[in-house]
This record gives sequence, structure tokens and C-alpha cells, in this order.
Amino acid sequence: MSTLTAERQAAPPKAPASRGGGEWRRTPTWLYGVLFAGLFLVVVPFVWMLLSSLKPEAEVRAVPPTWWPETITLDNYSTLFTKLDFPTYFLNSAIVALAVTAGNMVFCSMLGYALAKLDFPGKKALFAIVLGTLMIPGVVTFVPLFVLTTNIGLSNTLLGMVLPFLAGPFGVFLMRQFIQALPDELIQAARIDGAGELRIFFSVILPLCGPALATLGILTFLTSWNNFLWPLVVAQTEEKYTLPVALALYSVGQNATQYGLLLAGSVVVVLPVLAIFLVLQRHIMQGIAMTGIK
Amino acid sequence: MTTHFRRTARAGAILGLASLALVACGRDAGSDAPVEQGEAIGDGKATGTIEVWAMGTEGEVLGDFAEAFAEENPDAEVEVTAVPWDSAHDKIANAIAAGETPDVTLVGTTWMGEFAESGGLDPLPEDLVDSAAFFDGAWGSTEVGGTSYGVPWYVETRVLYYRKDLAAKAGWDEAPATWDELKQFTTDLQSKGGAEYGIQLQAGNTGSWQTVLPFAWTNGVAVTNDEGTEYTIDSPEMVEALDYYTSFFEEGISPMRMLDPGELESGFADGTYGSFISGPWHTGLVEEQGVDEDEYGVALLPGVDSAGGTSFVGGGDLAVFSDSDNKESAWKFVQWLADPATQQGFYDEVGDLPAVSESWETGELSEDPQLAVFGEQLDNALAPPAVPTWEEVATVIDGEVEKATKGATSVEDAVAEMQRQAEQIGTGL
Amino acid sequence: MSTVATRTGTRTRHVDPTRRQQAVAAWALALPFVLLFAVFSLGPVLASLGMSFTDMRRTDIRDPFAVNPVGLDNYVQLVQDPLFRKVTLNTLLYLLLGVPLTMAVALLVAVGINRVERFRGFLRVGYYLPVVTSIVAVSVVWKFLYRDNGGLFNTILGWVGIDGPGWLDSTTLALPSLVLMAVWRNFGTLMVIFLAGLQTIPQEVNEAAEVDGASGWSRFRHVTLPMLRPTLLFGAVITGLGYLQFFEEAFVMTKGGPLDSTRSATYFTFDQFGFGNYGYAAAASYLLFLAVVLLTWVQFRWLGERDETTVKGAKR
Repeated sequence: MSTLTAERQAAPPKAPASRGGGEWRRTPTWLYGVLFAGLFLVVVPFVWMLLSSLKPEAEVRAVPPTWWPETITLDNYSTLFTKLDFPTYFLNSAIVALAVTAGNMVFCSMLGYALAKLDFPGKKALFAIVLGTLMIPGVVTFVPLFVLTTNIGLSNTLLGMVLPFLAGPFGVFLMRQFIQALPDELIQAARIDGAGELRIFFSVILPLCGPALATLGILTFLTSWNNFLWPLVVAQTEEKYTLPVALALYSVGQNATQYGLLLAGSVVVVLPVLAIFLVLQRHIMQGIAMTGIK
Repeated sequence: MTTHFRRTARAGAILGLASLALVACGRDAGSDAPVEQGEAIGDGKATGTIEVWAMGTEGEVLGDFAEAFAEENPDAEVEVTAVPWDSAHDKIANAIAAGETPDVTLVGTTWMGEFAESGGLDPLPEDLVDSAAFFDGAWGSTEVGGTSYGVPWYVETRVLYYRKDLAAKAGWDEAPATWDELKQFTTDLQSKGGAEYGIQLQAGNTGSWQTVLPFAWTNGVAVTNDEGTEYTIDSPEMVEALDYYTSFFEEGISPMRMLDPGELESGFADGTYGSFISGPWHTGLVEEQGVDEDEYGVALLPGVDSAGGTSFVGGGDLAVFSDSDNKESAWKFVQWLADPATQQGFYDEVGDLPAVSESWETGELSEDPQLAVFGEQLDNALAPPAVPTWEEVATVIDGEVEKATKGATSVEDAVAEMQRQAEQIGTGL
Repeated sequence: MSTVATRTGTRTRHVDPTRRQQAVAAWALALPFVLLFAVFSLGPVLASLGMSFTDMRRTDIRDPFAVNPVGLDNYVQLVQDPLFRKVTLNTLLYLLLGVPLTMAVALLVAVGINRVERFRGFLRVGYYLPVVTSIVAVSVVWKFLYRDNGGLFNTILGWVGIDGPGWLDSTTLALPSLVLMAVWRNFGTLMVIFLAGLQTIPQEVNEAAEVDGASGWSRFRHVTLPMLRPTLLFGAVITGLGYLQFFEEAFVMTKGGPLDSTRSATYFTFDQFGFGNYGYAAAASYLLFLAVVLLTWVQFRWLGERDETTVKGAKR
């Protein structure tokens, strides 16, 4: 049916918010039920984490585990904020994670577009190489990477924590797949209008990448924020530690772990990630306005 | 077609360059001469900045604690960076790799072998400390291939924890002193004392070697020869020791499963486990779960026929990096930390058991009966061989122990396999 | 090729920029990434590849060139190592069980959330929580679920008269138990990706299909799925890679036991690296790499790009 192609090309830009009409839009109630039941199953450990961060250490370790705290205490949190130089570690983590996220969003979308829509020599090889490095466990490249980073003078710097992760193959792969699904006609039309290739990327393609960029942003932020081993190894003095490193410092001992403190720390560490998620996830659901060709 | 050719040519070039690089590699044939102890350091005060890495609680406290050192050495400054125990090993390894290290570091006792062998640690200067002042086992952890690379800082050792009240119920006024008594003791705890398991022993995996080797050592097993160049695990004594160990599982006296964190302490408190073997940190943990001080006791590990089993000694050693630019002052700092008075002061502050035996003669260490048991055990405790490949061999031992306790292989086969794999891995020296 | 309304009427066909213009633009866009990548990713990767052909250990670290090249010895030793063979099998099992399960769950949830009108944000965040929950908390709760005496699963099984086994203590059940936990833990990431992918399917397409009389399931199979193809491929590859690097769950819950039944290839590599056997560990990684390349190639063939016209013409 030609309606399909014709509609895709000539459909007037419809505000994605308008959801009126169409019988199928009515959501069956059973679906809500199922989704919420599933949600309950999925959320239990997180809730346990929250509740347990308010328990004294002995109760956290009790076996079988308790649900509601028998004794509520804010000790874990107060230790966390008094013993740790919280603002410094938080700031370090924030700078590193935001820099890595922003960098990835920009560089990966640029290369992703080139791989998805442009034709150039070395394209296949480049994609294969980038994809290939994704398949190698980080553990193995760790030592050479560290020796390299130190020898170019980036030891004990936030830059040294950021640079190696700015060019993430995951992001390239993600953006390439998404951009590939965008219709070629948009690009063709822009070319006819006389736009240069780079201009096409920035003005035409990028605005349509909202959901993909948001997804990449969330996933990159999460990984970078929780990164433990690399910042630990790069930092030579405590003032350069990031939050996960500082947390491990105070809660994991040579022979015993302070679980209460660890859980409280985990709650605190998770909050910014959830905040970023809440901010960005709207963009994930932003429908791509399939505007026709002008 | 041309692209294909170009691609192959490129690949070929890369391979060619890579092989060229490999050709440049090659190990030196003769670097096996024993390393000498370092030159004795001068007498003066310490100077300059001394950068220190310390993990955990020690790291948190050392900075302030070291102010006393700064007072005695006004030209020197001690800067302590606290490092998390989680991956501290990797951090030190990487620092050595990149040649970017501080001056002094705390080193886990089982790490000395590999770091020393890598050349990253400075050999101990002669006459810096008197090795006889330290517990033998602890000193052993610093000696790699006959040369000492550090000074023990604090120690821990393993003893028998048991429920005194359940033991009394089972008719035992004192802790068992021999292997036969231990067997009877734990059986009674189950049948008469009301415990579900007489003892909790690890069935293998994750560190069971730290409980198994003491039994082996007590029976006279030596894991390596004196120089640490060969493994001597396979022996009738080892088979006997492992046989004794596995019998607890076969007879149902010890559970076979791996416990969850917190399960041991809770189980000890509610009487599920009548006894277990562990280190000083567990006193706090079991009391936290509600075990009263008079409800439990600690005792020396039983010997084979007479009292006095050999236990495991661990803890932390202090070492100076070979890339340090202030070695002399660094060693002076280490020397200060090893002073008996300093050691005792540090115990008061942190609770780490001192590595210097003299510190045990005064203060709380000499008065507390529980600590006295640890102190006495320290006189009869060994550290695992300080060889670079120890972690790997320990894992092999863990694996074979698991197979033996779960009945997957016989004890003789397990021990033979330990020897075989250990030989294949080598000691690294 | 359709005709497009022209502006001034002078051109009547598409203008393709010269290959040269495209190439220049492409490399301009690619440059920042490629530079960073070459230095910080490719370099270390090649260095570690080189490492795999030597007998390098941690004790050689200060003098990395003073090691012996041993050619393929590490690789040969690996293939002969019974433990390595075992962990390879374990990893394959993880993959075969975990990838389809995770993708199915993620897709179902994504489609479900996409379908409802209210509480979307709430549901999205909720379903994503397992991904961000601390592994400590996750392991405590799941260990409780799996406990032999008094664990939740066995209690529920007890209600219907089944005597549940010791899930994590059994050499046959431990691995599937961990797979279940991993699915639970990781599907949230895929769900987010699929949600974004579902958004690229315009409303009009689905509505047009409905007008044509297609049922819900048929719409899903013939409209939604094909249009999700690139996203599904991405999901499959990423999840496959993720399960290949499966490590944390086993590390925290079972330490690779009982009797190495939950030890994955990555866990093995991690251990070897921890022992300081850098050359051996590197070789293990590259063997894994070869396996993954194969897996990915298969996935690309199966789910990869199809001719656009086939998709468009499908409705005919």
C-alpha cells in the first residue's frame, strides 16, 4: 500500500503529544497490573538497600536478613559525611563523569553518523576495529594503559581519569545503529537545499538524535560514575579520589567489611545517577517528529 | 581489488612491526644471584617529605599518629595517603609498573614475594631492626629468597573460637588441646551441647588454605624447601593433615556450604555453629551479634599429640619502594614505627596487634586474657612462603581442598594434584 | 527514487555530493574520536596482544622487554588447560541462556511501557533500578531468595509440596540461578535502549497498519520488529558482549564455585591477571575475542541491515 511510503514522506509534522483517536490507543488495564506487579519484583532489593542503610551494622549482617529496621539509626550516614571529605570526592566524581559523558555524546555521534550515512574509504575497517576493541575485556589493557597514562604526565590528574574513556566504542556503535534508522531522504533534501555535509550533521541529524543521545548519556554516566579501579589507580593523593574510591576506603577492611556504611554510601552514590536518569529519560520518550521534507 | 590488496598489505606491515618488537624481547639469563641486604643507613634525623601509602583504618589514623615522628625529626614531613584495601594490591603493582611510587607503603603479608621479585621494593638496610625482636612467623613474611624486604608492622593470627557455655553443657571445662580431643570436642558440641554443627570449617574456595595449612604445619609439613625454590607439598604428613580436615565434613561435624557474610557470626550467636577458627577481628563481630563475653572463649589451636598447634600469621609489613627518592628517611620512619613503644601506642590507637613481641609485655596486651591467647599463638605461627606465585598456588590448594571435602577426589589424589600444579606454576624465584 | 518538488525548477534529480566531499566530511567528523581512540584504546590493545605472545608476569613489569617471546605457547597451554575448557563451556551456557532471556524480558517490558499512557516515567525508573542498585544489596537479597532452608524460593516451592534444592550449592543449578539473577539485573539497560528504538517507529505506521486490519500480534511481528532491527541487533551484540564479560554476579555470590561451575572465562582471565600471569591472561582474552568476533558476525548476518525496499514493500 503506497499509503505507507507516502505517509512517511508527506505526513504533516504532528505534535507527538496528541494521542487522541484510534481504538488501539486505549490501554488495557491488565497491562497496568502486570507492569506494576513486575515493578514490585524488580524494586525489592533497592528498597532493602535503602532500609538497611538505616540499620546498625550488626542488624545489617544478621542472617536471615531483616526487612524493616529493628533499630533506626542515622549513624551510617553521619559517619559517611563526617569522616569522608564528601564535597571533594563528589566534585571529582561529577567532573569526571560529566566530562566523559559529554565527550562521548559529541564524539560518538559524529563518528556514528559518518559510519551510518556517509561513504568513505576505510569505513568498514574503522567500524570493525572500533567494534573489535569493545570485545576485549578491560582488565587486559589496563596495565599498558596505565603505564602510558603515567608516562605522558597524567598521573594524579582528573584529566588522566577522563581521557582514556572519551572515545568509547559502545557509544559509536549505539549512535551508528540509531542514525542508520533515520531516513536518507532528509539528508538528500538538505543536500539539495545546498547544505554542506557538516552542516547537515549539526542541523539536521543531531536534533533528531534526542532519544539516542539521552540513552547514551545515561549509560555512559552510570558507567563513569561507578568506575572504581581506574580512578583508584590514577589518583596518587586522596584529594583526587572519586566517590566510589573514597567509599571503599572507609568501608572495606583487610578482613571485614562495614556493610552498613557501604550500603549508605551506595544509596548516596546512586542518587545522582537516578537524577540524571530522570532528567534524560524524558528525551528518550520524545518521539522523533518525522517531519516531511520541506 | 586494490582495496583488498591494500588491506592485506597493511595487515602484513603491522604484523611485521609487531614481530620486530617481539624479537627485541628477551630475558637475561643470569640474574639469579641472591640479593644483598641494603647498606646500613646513617645516624642522623630524617629529612624531606616522606610519602606513605597505608590502607584501611591504619591509613586513616597514621597521618595524625605520625606527628610524633615529625616532632622528633623537625626537618621531615610525613604525608599519608589512605588507600582502600579493595584493589590496593593492583594500585601498588601498577605504581611499580609505571615507576611512579611514593616512599613507603603498607604491604599485605602475602604480597611481599611478588613485589620484591619485581624489583619494586628496596632490600632492608642492614641493622635497621633486630629481626629477633619480631615474631618468627611475621618476620618470615618479609623474607623473599633469603633477603628481607621490609619490616612487619602489625600481625594477626588464627585461634579456635568456641561457645564456652555449650562446651560446659557437653562436659568440657577446657578447650581441646590435641587433634583427638578436638574431634571429640566438636562431636560432643553437636550431640550434647546442642549445636547444629560442632565446628564451622571452610570446605574449599576462597581462603580455606588459611585454615588448612595450619593443620598441615602442625603435622610437620613444609610447603617449600628452605630457599623457596621448590614445592614440597606432597608428603605423608600432608595427606594425614588433609585427611583429618576432610573427616569433619564426612562425619557431618562441619557444614560444607560456603556461608553468606554475617552467617557465621549469627550462627555462632544462636548456637548453630559450636566453634570456628578465625582471627582477632571476630571478637568484635561476634559480640556485635549478641554473644556475651563469658559465653565464648578463644583457645590455641590444638597440636597433633600434645598442646600447641601451629597457626597462620598474617597482617601487614612496611616496605620502601626502590623508586623512592628519599629512601634513607623513609627507612627511618619504618624504624620508628617498629619501635616497641610506638607499636604499643599504635595498638592503643587502632587495635592492631603489634608485630614486636616486646610490646606485648606491658599494658593491655599483657593483661587481657583473650589477647594473651593471641599473643601465645603468635609464638607458634607461620606465614605462607613469600614467593611471587603464592596467590596462584593458594588457589590451587583451595580448589583441591574443595574437591577432597566434597568427595570429588580422594585425599591422596588431591595432594598429588596440588604438588603437580604447584610445580607447573613454579615458585617464581 | 521519487520525485521531489523543486524550488527554482532548475534541477530535477538528486544531487549526490562527490565521494571526495563525503570522505572529507566523514574524516573531519571522525577525527577527534579516532585520535583519542588510537592513543588510549588501540595502543594498549596492541600492547596487550604483544604481551600474549610472551611469558610476561607481574614481576617483569618494570622491564617489560626483558621477557621471552614464546609464540603460541600461551594459547596452546590454554586450550589444554582443563579449567579453561570448563570456563569456556560455562560462558557459552551463560550466553545461550542469558541473551535470549534478557532480550525477551527487556523487549516485553519496553513494549509494555510504550503502550501505557500514564506512569511511564515512574515505570521506567523503577525497572531500571536493578541496574543501579549496589551489588552488595543485590547479593544479600538474592542469596536470601536462594537459601536452602528458609529461602524465599524454597519456601514458595514448599507450599506446593516441592522440596527445593540448595540452588547455589549445587554444581548443576548454580549457574542457571546466576543467569536468572543476571537477567534481572541487566535487562533494564536493554529496556532503555529498546524504548528509544521504539520511538523511532512513527505512530502513523502503526495506525496505518491497524486501518488495514492487522491484529496486535501481526502488527508487532510485521511492522514493529522489522523496524526495530538495527536496535535489536545492537541489543543482541551488546548483551552478548555483556554476558561474555559476566563476572560480578559470580564473584559476589559464589566466588566461581561450587567446584568452578560458575566460573566464567572473564573470571578466569581476571584470576590469571590477579596472579600476575599477564601473558597468559592476555592470551585468554584474545581467545575470547576470537569467539566473540565469531558470535558477533553471526548476529550481524542474522539481524543485520536488510535492503530498505524489502521493508517498505512488505506491506504490499
